[in-house]
Amino acid sequence: MKRECSSISRLLEKYFDQEVTPEERSLVEGHLPDCSACRMALDTMQNLRILIKNPVEEAVEKETFPWVWEKIEKGIQQKERPVFWNFLKSWLDVTPLLKRKLLIPAVAAVVILILITAPLLYNKMSSYPGPSVVEYVESETYNVMVYELETPQVTVIWLFEDPEEESSTS
Amino acid sequence: MKRKASLYVILILSLSPFFGAVALAQVQVRVRVMEASNVGSGFDSSLRDLHDQLGSLFSFSSYRLLKDENVSLSSNQPVSLSIPPERSLELTLINQHRVTAEIRVRITRQGRELLTTLVRLAPGRSVSIGGPKRGEGTIITALSRPQ
Amino acid sequence: MDVNEAQLISRCQLGDQEAFKEIFNQYHQKLYRIAYGVVRHREEALDIVQEVFIKLFRSIHQFKGKSRFYTYLYRMTMNTAIDHTRKMKKVPPLSMDEEEGFQLSDDADKRPDRILDHKELEARVKWAMDQLSPDQKAALIFREVQGLSYQEIAEATGCSIGTVMSRLHYGRKKVQELLKDYVEGGK
Repeated sequence: MKRECSSISRLLEKYFDQEVTPEERSLVEGHLPDCSACRMALDTMQNLRILIKNPVEEAVEKETFPWVWEKIEKGIQQKERPVFWNFLKSWLDVTPLLKRKLLIPAVAAVVILILITAPLLYNKMSSYPGPSVVEYVESETYNVMVYELETPQVTVIWLFEDPEEESSTS
Repeated sequence: MKRKASLYVILILSLSPFFGAVALAQVQVRVRVMEASNVGSGFDSSLRDLHDQLGSLFSFSSYRLLKDENVSLSSNQPVSLSIPPERSLELTLINQHRVTAEIRVRITRQGRELLTTLVRLAPGRSVSIGGPKRGEGTIITALSRPQ
Repeated sequence: MDVNEAQLISRCQLGDQEAFKEIFNQYHQKLYRIAYGVVRHREEALDIVQEVFIKLFRSIHQFKGKSRFYTYLYRMTMNTAIDHTRKMKKVPPLSMDEEEGFQLSDDADKRPDRILDHKELEARVKWAMDQLSPDQKAALIFREVQGLSYQEIAEATGCSIGTVMSRLHYGRKKVQELLKDYVEGGK
């Protein structure tokens, strides 16, 4: 019995993972009704699987993936810049052409572009702050207060600690 | 066609200094941790810019600076620092729209998450996170962006 | 790999973002499952998924079809998640005594809040999994969370089936020991 148990116990994990051959399955299933130790070992593996897997399944089920694709798109576009610059650089070889009668139109075009883009760039640089500072707050641990005022500009997030938490940190 | 293309290249390159100034660069955030209490009086000079804000909301008599650090945030790269009492502050630059930076702020203690918030900070703006007690005082962490 | 997926991958390799979005739609939940299994934290898992898809877009032209596409993706996700935990470990630990093991707060059993107990158990499971080597953790997560076969795990981790079985065996043994109060048969 003992010898059989030690040889079966080596197959237990494979059996649990459904990776056994039909012959190995019969061996294990023939042994289990008479061996509480092997049954308990299987229960332990099952309990471990539940501990590891269930929280993940719960998290996946309730996840809505907000804005994930949009952030990926943005990340991809940022990474594509070097390719675009390489393409531009490849045209630099033809700069000798500019020496012939193209200088005046080129300068005129630069001036026009500066006049068009300068206001846009100025807008980008203006330090007008948005109406609110806090987009969201999550805390599963504390009660939270968010206090926002425009005049004076005050934004405060206040965490109300549990009294037991306070005494453990003071 | 090639001549026109090269002309466009020169025009764009001549404007590149302007675009460089507004390119998505690193965002600087100043992190100041202070202990606010009613023991003694005084306002640390490094907190002077926050005086009006904090004074309008709280009636603490003393604000003592415990930590003052500048961090540089790059997109989606978290930066962590320890803050009292026994907590960790993690800042991640999520997005930039014009000059406003969207920053995710996480505070954890012993691996346990206490707070996650997403704040939008423009230059000159600040957000304060307070509440945890330390002795007679209360810890307030102020995040601000320099002008 | 079925014909549709092969076509999608070819289109991605030519820079077709619509095809890439289709791949995202098919796989993002599965990759989130793996990432969450490693980091056990929603925000970090979402960051990892985002990072993996950005990496995938840059590197998909290197995928030659020698392995199955999903094992290639799973390997990328696992490596990214494990790198992420290494970076997070560089934050100095705050008063957790690792020699003595995981310390529940003294008054944890006095809290009536069941959600807090659940969170503390999750934290304990994460801590136990973090004691494994990266290879053992990867094998255990691929098996227990993602339900991959030994063959698929071998492909995703670049090792033999025998090595997969060994990693699973020693990984399970270590985690069972660390969590014995919760997993011993009959509980």
